[in-house]
Amino acid sequence: MQFPYFQFPVIGDPLIIELDAVLHVFISHGVAIGMVFMIVLAEYLGYKRKAEAWERLAWEAIKPTVIIITGIGAVTGVGIWFITAGLVPPAIGSMLRVFFWPWFIEWNVFFWEVVVILVYYFTWHRWQGARKASHVHLGFGYVALGSLSAFLITGILAFMLTSDGWPHNRSLWLAFFNPSFLSQLCWRLSIALAMGALFIILYISFFHDGAKAFRQQAVSYYAMILILPLIGMIATGWWWFDTIPPGFKAHAKPSILIWVFAENIRWFWVFHIGGGIILGLLILAALIRNVPAARVLIIPSTLVVLFAVAEYERVREFIRGPYLMPGYMYANEIMLTEHELFTKEGMLPNAYWFKRMAPTATLEQEGAFLFAQNCGTCHTIGGKNDIRDRFAGRTERGIYVILGRTEQMVPWMPPFSGTDEERSKMSHFLDQLVAHKLELEEPSRYPSAEQGGTD
Amino acid sequence: MESLHDLTLPVPLPEGLQRGLLFGTFTLHLLFVLLMLGTAILALSYFIHAWWHGHLDGLSWAKQVLRFFLAHKSLAVVLGVGPLLLIQVAFTIPFFTAIVLLAPFWLLIIGFLVVSFVSFDSLGHRIYTHRYLHLVFGTVAMTTLLCVPGFFVAVLVAVENPHRWMDIFNTGFAFDWRLTVHWIFRYLHVLGAALVFGGAFHYFFVARHYPRYRASLLRWMLLGLLLQVVLGIALYWSLLQEVPPVVYAYLSVGISLTAVMIWVVATAMGSRGPLNHTAVIPLLLALLTSMLLTRQEFQDRAVSPLLAQLKQATARYAAELQPYEKTALADYRDRMNTVYNTGPIIYSQSCAFCHGEDARGNGPDAKFLHVPPEDISAIRAQRSYVMTILDNGVPGSAMPGFTYFERQQRERVAGYLNKTYDIFSLPGRLPAQVSSQVRQKAQAEWDETCSRCHGKDGTGNQTSAKFRPPPPNLTEYSLTPQRIRHVIENGYPGTMMSSYSSLGDQEIDALADRVVSFRLHSSSTSAKSSPAGGPEPNE
Repeated sequence: MQFPYFQFPVIGDPLIIELDAVLHVFISHGVAIGMVFMIVLAEYLGYKRKAEAWERLAWEAIKPTVIIITGIGAVTGVGIWFITAGLVPPAIGSMLRVFFWPWFIEWNVFFWEVVVILVYYFTWHRWQGARKASHVHLGFGYVALGSLSAFLITGILAFMLTSDGWPHNRSLWLAFFNPSFLSQLCWRLSIALAMGALFIILYISFFHDGAKAFRQQAVSYYAMILILPLIGMIATGWWWFDTIPPGFKAHAKPSILIWVFAENIRWFWVFHIGGGIILGLLILAALIRNVPAARVLIIPSTLVVLFAVAEYERVREFIRGPYLMPGYMYANEIMLTEHELFTKEGMLPNAYWFKRMAPTATLEQEGAFLFAQNCGTCHTIGGKNDIRDRFAGRTERGIYVILGRTEQMVPWMPPFSGTDEERSKMSHFLDQLVAHKLELEEPSRYPSAEQGGTD
Repeated sequence: MESLHDLTLPVPLPEGLQRGLLFGTFTLHLLFVLLMLGTAILALSYFIHAWWHGHLDGLSWAKQVLRFFLAHKSLAVVLGVGPLLLIQVAFTIPFFTAIVLLAPFWLLIIGFLVVSFVSFDSLGHRIYTHRYLHLVFGTVAMTTLLCVPGFFVAVLVAVENPHRWMDIFNTGFAFDWRLTVHWIFRYLHVLGAALVFGGAFHYFFVARHYPRYRASLLRWMLLGLLLQVVLGIALYWSLLQEVPPVVYAYLSVGISLTAVMIWVVATAMGSRGPLNHTAVIPLLLALLTSMLLTRQEFQDRAVSPLLAQLKQATARYAAELQPYEKTALADYRDRMNTVYNTGPIIYSQSCAFCHGEDARGNGPDAKFLHVPPEDISAIRAQRSYVMTILDNGVPGSAMPGFTYFERQQRERVAGYLNKTYDIFSLPGRLPAQVSSQVRQKAQAEWDETCSRCHGKDGTGNQTSAKFRPPPPNLTEYSLTPQRIRHVIENGYPGTMMSSYSSLGDQEIDALADRVVSFRLHSSSTSAKSSPAGGPEPNE
């Protein structure tokens, strides 16, 4: 209400944030930490064993890696910020105020990360011979900075799930070092190394034109490295899940039980165990140095791990359910205290933008505004998570009752904020919408009233 | 609460520090943005020029210029994060409002940057691809890249004009002509600066090994500087605010420095002597600072009254919310302690507000509904039928589908209800004895009246299936005979089922018995046809 409203068309706000964020995780973890680690390792082996082939692999792989990190990784990272700023300003604005200093420090780390990777890349040929050791150290330094970035961001992300004592005492230390922080950090480092190993095997088997014997050696070397982070993924994933409050844990299954999983949990296990078998076969093929077999298995194996990462992020974002900042702000960006205020005094009298935009608001306009503020963060009209589908078949009175009980009925939904009269206006609006008596594509564009808008 | 207010969480650093850090980081960011833009424009034009004239040497120079794009753009991005962070805490309302008002363009920035960065870097680091391909990639990269400062400048223009926010909103993400003219000149002003800074960078750091391109870089710089003069005048003319005296001071510094720069560059071009970097670089940085100080002054003047107002309104709003904090936190704690994992808990949270804690259809919200919630304790139905209702709801009533709960959870609820109320058992029979005459009369009534909707066999028909809510399939879904009797006598409000109290007690008894028999009969035939069809599984 302190900001005008905009909803991302068709796919809605959460999915666009998810898509950008997951792509960013693939790159920031898998490429920036994982792949660079594997490249520096190759460079180190080339230097230590005086093996030209390892050195060549490292140099060839670093080019696309740097382009992807700085061109896509950095931009999608800033992109999360851009998207949230445009779609959910009170949310990102509040998070920034709580975590300003961690974020500020992270920005400094990020700056040095970029400087180090650029120096590492541009000095490759100049720092040969005696300076090679320093160059390798610089590479490992970059991986360390990347991990430090992960450390700083994980504190903030974990807070969104386990805010611990913060709502009561507003302590930054408790908020940052919250119960799910450490396990999540370990998970993130595990997936970074797992993705890194997979990416470099992918690179060697498809793009590297080194000698056959070397490719066999390199693939089996990286497959050996892959084993540890894969075990780490399972162990830390389990540990992380254990740190989540039971109230949230109960939503874990619904969050991933989509598509075929929803009606038959067996499919869930088929997918996951099947994924594990594919990874096992890849490691086996690589260890016996069968590059053609590894080449066949590497794409499905990479997809399995990327899927697992996306699944984890989905669960993590979904199960915090009704909250954006547990104990402080609901997922629809309404503060817990504001909810109480609006229930008593109404949302419309507190709506700065709405009142100035439509001084002679019609019932539909009021309903549309209430819908946008209460539901628009997750529900679209005619797009993903379509509100028309959700209420298809319900009567207006039925909608009214359900609106009053959303948070109770659906454990991951926030409550309706507003007076009974406003709830009634919004149910009328939704009833009209569901019955197609009212057509409205975007809740950010309220139905126009001829006389509305100007005064 | 009438006025606009800020977020209620406090800003974590003092105002002076916010402003200072913001100015410093923004200056650094802009420096690298200008270098990035300059590098891109120069590289592409050198490429086209060399290609046009068939100079192989020119291509290698163009690649040399473009190689620096990777570093310039990376530093521009990372240095942009600092000011982005700071502006969001220092100018929360103006900045977010501007972004939301221009949201579609703001979001496009991400896609445009990715396309442009990946294309340019691929070209710069793997040259001698096919030239047409190079041209296409380069053009796409250039176009997308040139849009980005346009979007950023638009956001800043919106930040600086709070009194026009409502106009921008009402015109649908668009500026009026005055804002548009101002925006275009500012945007072009940035591009002019990019030519000067990009030209200088490559002159000093890259052309050392390609001295024959120094003259051309000087020409680019001169072009940029002259553009700055022309665009500066246009920008001044298009200003939307009153110009404060301090701005004249910044402007005169900027104008003098520009004049000096033009003189220095022109002299270097005439004498062909090299530029002195120890003199020119500080001069350029001073020029950039004076330009940004002017901008900052305009922004501060435009939004400071609003920020002062916001401070007061925020304090008021926080005080208004304060009394609710205790209740809110108590609710939060309760909610975190409610775990939706057992039948009774899910029922009491998600069903009981309509159906009642004792499942008799008398929950606290039942009073709002035209179609009253069913008395679940009276249901005597097939398990699969009940599950279908839980999955899909009942159209034309308040009863929604519950597929957002996984199957196991829905089954737990159904199992709990069966355990408590025997809903999957068969309906009993009424104790009352009914004569065969009444029974025949009831059968006639059924055939004549009831079957029009319920069908002769109790399964309904095509017409009644379209009712909202439709009648249930009585062979699969039944009720206790007492409840059926009640429905016949009183009707089911909000549905097509009206009251038949005129029939008389005995006939109603007989009809209730007739209804029960549909389910009893179908159950006995299905039990016969499948030996495993006995009692349904319980949870």
